[in-house]
Amino acid sequence: MLSMDLDGYLIKDKPYYSQTHNEIALFEAAAANRMPMMLKGPTGCGKTRFVEYMAWKLKKPLITVSCHEDMTASDLVGRYLLDAEGTVWHDGPLTLAVRYGAICYLDEIVEARQDTSVVIHSLTDDRRILSLEKKNEVVKAHDDFQIVVSYNPGYQSVLKDLKESTKQRFGAIDFNYPDPELESKIIVHESGVDKKIADKLVQISERSRNLKGHGLDEGASTRMLIYAAQLITQGVPLEDACNVALVLPITDDQDVRNALNSAIAACT
Amino acid sequence: MSTSTTRGKYAVFPASKELGDANKEFLPLIEQGRESFPVHLVNVWVEACHKLANAGYGALIPIAYARYSPKLAVTLQPEAAINLVSLVSLAAIKVNRAAAELLPKAALEAATECKSTTDFSVWQITIEELVHTAPESVLPVLERTKTILSVLTTDQFRSWVIAGLRSTGDDTLRQIQYFSFNDAESEKWFRHEAGDVVYTDLDRRLKYYLKSLWNLRPPIRELSASTSPLSLRRISITNGVVQIPEVFPGFHGEQAELIFRAGLAHVGAHLTYSTKKFALGELKPIQVALVSLIEDARVETLAIRVFPGLKKLWLPFHVAKPSGPKLVPHLLARLARALIDDNYHDSDGWVQKGRDLFLDPANDMTDPAMCRRIGVLLGNDLGQLRAQFNSKTYVIEPPYRDDNMGLWDFGDHQGDEEDNDGIFIEAMRMNEQDDPSNNSPDENKNEQDENVEQQFHAKESESSEECESEIAVRYPEFDYLTGSERPNWTCVVEYFPDYGDSHKINRILETHTDLVNRIKNLIQSAKVSLPERLHHQSVGESLDLDACINAVISRRMGQVPDPNIYSTTERKHRDLSVLVLLDISNSTNDQVPAANTTVLELEIQATTLLAYAMSELDDPFGIAAFCSDGKENVHYYRIKNFGEAYDTNSKALLAGLKGKLSTRMGAAMRHAFRELATQQTHRRLLLIITDGEPSDIDVKDKKYLVEDARKVVHSASRLGIDTFCVGLEAGGENYLHRIFDKKNVVVIDSLDRLPERLPMLYLRLTA
Repeated sequence: MLSMDLDGYLIKDKPYYSQTHNEIALFEAAAANRMPMMLKGPTGCGKTRFVEYMAWKLKKPLITVSCHEDMTASDLVGRYLLDAEGTVWHDGPLTLAVRYGAICYLDEIVEARQDTSVVIHSLTDDRRILSLEKKNEVVKAHDDFQIVVSYNPGYQSVLKDLKESTKQRFGAIDFNYPDPELESKIIVHESGVDKKIADKLVQISERSRNLKGHGLDEGASTRMLIYAAQLITQGVPLEDACNVALVLPITDDQDVRNALNSAIAACT
Repeated sequence: MSTSTTRGKYAVFPASKELGDANKEFLPLIEQGRESFPVHLVNVWVEACHKLANAGYGALIPIAYARYSPKLAVTLQPEAAINLVSLVSLAAIKVNRAAAELLPKAALEAATECKSTTDFSVWQITIEELVHTAPESVLPVLERTKTILSVLTTDQFRSWVIAGLRSTGDDTLRQIQYFSFNDAESEKWFRHEAGDVVYTDLDRRLKYYLKSLWNLRPPIRELSASTSPLSLRRISITNGVVQIPEVFPGFHGEQAELIFRAGLAHVGAHLTYSTKKFALGELKPIQVALVSLIEDARVETLAIRVFPGLKKLWLPFHVAKPSGPKLVPHLLARLARALIDDNYHDSDGWVQKGRDLFLDPANDMTDPAMCRRIGVLLGNDLGQLRAQFNSKTYVIEPPYRDDNMGLWDFGDHQGDEEDNDGIFIEAMRMNEQDDPSNNSPDENKNEQDENVEQQFHAKESESSEECESEIAVRYPEFDYLTGSERPNWTCVVEYFPDYGDSHKINRILETHTDLVNRIKNLIQSAKVSLPERLHHQSVGESLDLDACINAVISRRMGQVPDPNIYSTTERKHRDLSVLVLLDISNSTNDQVPAANTTVLELEIQATTLLAYAMSELDDPFGIAAFCSDGKENVHYYRIKNFGEAYDTNSKALLAGLKGKLSTRMGAAMRHAFRELATQQTHRRLLLIITDGEPSDIDVKDKKYLVEDARKVVHSASRLGIDTFCVGLEAGGENYLHRIFDKKNVVVIDSLDRLPERLPMLYLRLTA
């Protein structure tokens, strides 16, 4: 029974998602138990797309919150605002999901400050409640409510890490870049480029992923490959497209750029 | 001038007694030379000539001066020609007569190459310095004046000379070798000054290239000084170590970069596809050369299948033409081209046969055995043609390809009678000698190969070089004389430190109980960690929404609203990482009478207490130590890394430190800064504890290392890294203030109090 409030959050069209291992089945099983899930993996490998796909598949509304370091608990939970009559309470995205039963997806949760992410604790154990202290209300989670967070271990540093008590409330699925064959298929689908060019882009991406930890923090993601492919479908030559989409964004180091461009030249 | 008579307004000197018969040659030169000087300088010049003639240097020097200085006056400037006389006589006194005699001619050559008098005076000053610092090297340099200055400007010439003096230190023999171009360094810096692309300029990007393309990280070394001329040097892969020539002569700018890249792409192909070594067996040298050539073509073909772009990289270097004399090296180059270039047509039957055999669809390209089969066949054919092949002079073409030594398993051949294997065996022997660790190749070979194998296939999990126990990193060094950094000048080698007794560290803490307690108290107050965000502020960079709403509510209720409606963020927690760098040079073994122990011992005690404070404060910290043994061997010891726990292991390493060698501070600091730069804290601090002036065995000029260290500190501060120095030498203020700036230095006068002072200093510094 869905409230009208969340209609806008329903995903109408089927998002394209291609399974890399067995993550769909795993997520379905977790969703059946409303288990809080954590999606780990490098940026641009399809975590957000996966959540959208699962929300569509499970026919649940999806409320996405991109976390940032200035985010406060009230940004998630809600706050009093003013109107002509007086003060009114305004539910935050998390409360909305809790009240009416949606998947609440906290993207890049490590970006949020640790004291902010603590508000989800009472929702992620068997209590499944959210207390709105300011409003003096305890919201019991809707049956359909599920919380999903994404977490990029690549950014991990002493400063930015989840509290142990937060981590332990989640089940996790590890994502990585798809296998070459599948990645090429995804590129073809998303950009409409030739399979041959998609294969080439996948080969190029491996050149860049080889440099992870040796000049690059992270290699070219699937998303970047799709961007490159999209440029190619607009008639941009392959090497230029790669430079724009795969090399320049990820490094300012001239030597790394030079090495990458030469390696790309070797692939073409 | 009483001896002179006057002819017109010119001074005329009588024949010089010193010169005797040589006057016949000397006097006419003076008569001629007069014409080249303006009226007011003629007498000065003539007098200069005669002074030189009467100085007792023999006849040749004044004659050379009288002959060349007038030309110099015309080419450049009369004053310059006259001033030269003092340098000539200096050379005669300090160096020898030969150098002094050559000097006027060299000066003329220099003047011809120089654009201006300023350029010429740079040359002159440089020679003068050389006369003072390395007299034995003056002659070789003068002899090559024309050659050198046709490539370098005088400023570059000066830099090259200074580089020579810096790199050879006190070693006269090496100096002579350097300045006679008999030293690899000499050529390298000459090329560097000439603006040629040398490998070291490209090292970083080429290593990334190899890693990116082939996912390989083999150790790459510059080819050590070799007897073969530079143009014949090739890349070489021995036991997984890639040796690379410093330059490929004739390849400039873009071209140079391409050939290095082509070479490393070829190396990558070998390391990926040449998985098994060929047994030398009974093969003749020509067969060895052919099998290698075909193996080159095979790995390149496989590589091009995966990376088609490599063909565009390699092809331009194949310049063999299907014409010309049918000499074996030429035929080999043609075959090499035929095997990789589809558009190349060669009418020669042997080359065609080679191509057909290689391209036979029945071949299994992934199996190196085909190379042996085809190579042996083709070799026999050449034998029947009675074509001469001299393996000693044979050099692999095109030049980007390696010498293929790494392909062969030489079995027990090395060192015995086999002479006919020529260059291969000889080169192999050379390499064996180069590598001191390789003393019993037969026993260790497999083991070594495995190790090397592991080294190259850099595993994904490996974060970087830090995983290896001993690594070497090259750093530039700043030369105040040239005002520039000389790239890749020093080499910092990380050695694994010795273990000591970790209980010693615990005992230090026990014996200083009251101090530990005081530190504890101080830490309590230093450990402030407040929330970063401050709400309800009267000023701030953003509105505090909740406070705003309350304020509006108050207004509606008819009350005075609270004006504190802003929020702000403040960093009140400690966000600091520290690297403690200990100077453990030999002088730290000196006794400190007041404490009845050595300087190093006090350093260790102080560091122990400091480490205690830092670990209690939860500040991320690292501890390292350094000393140096010349520019090629700056020792760096990691006692504790960032992120590692301060545990028994690091305590044992700290306790095990021993004082030795010298203090090349700049290089060590560069290495330390590189590590600190990766720390993500708000403040980063290098705390260096040193007992003496920067010095090293190969540096005479004390100012040099001080200025280099100063430069390092400056560039670090631009990166936002602070440096603080604790000096342990009374009177060290002079150079320490110069290096670190007055406010960043504390000199501890009574060394026995160091253990007490250091942690306190740290807490004050970081409060």
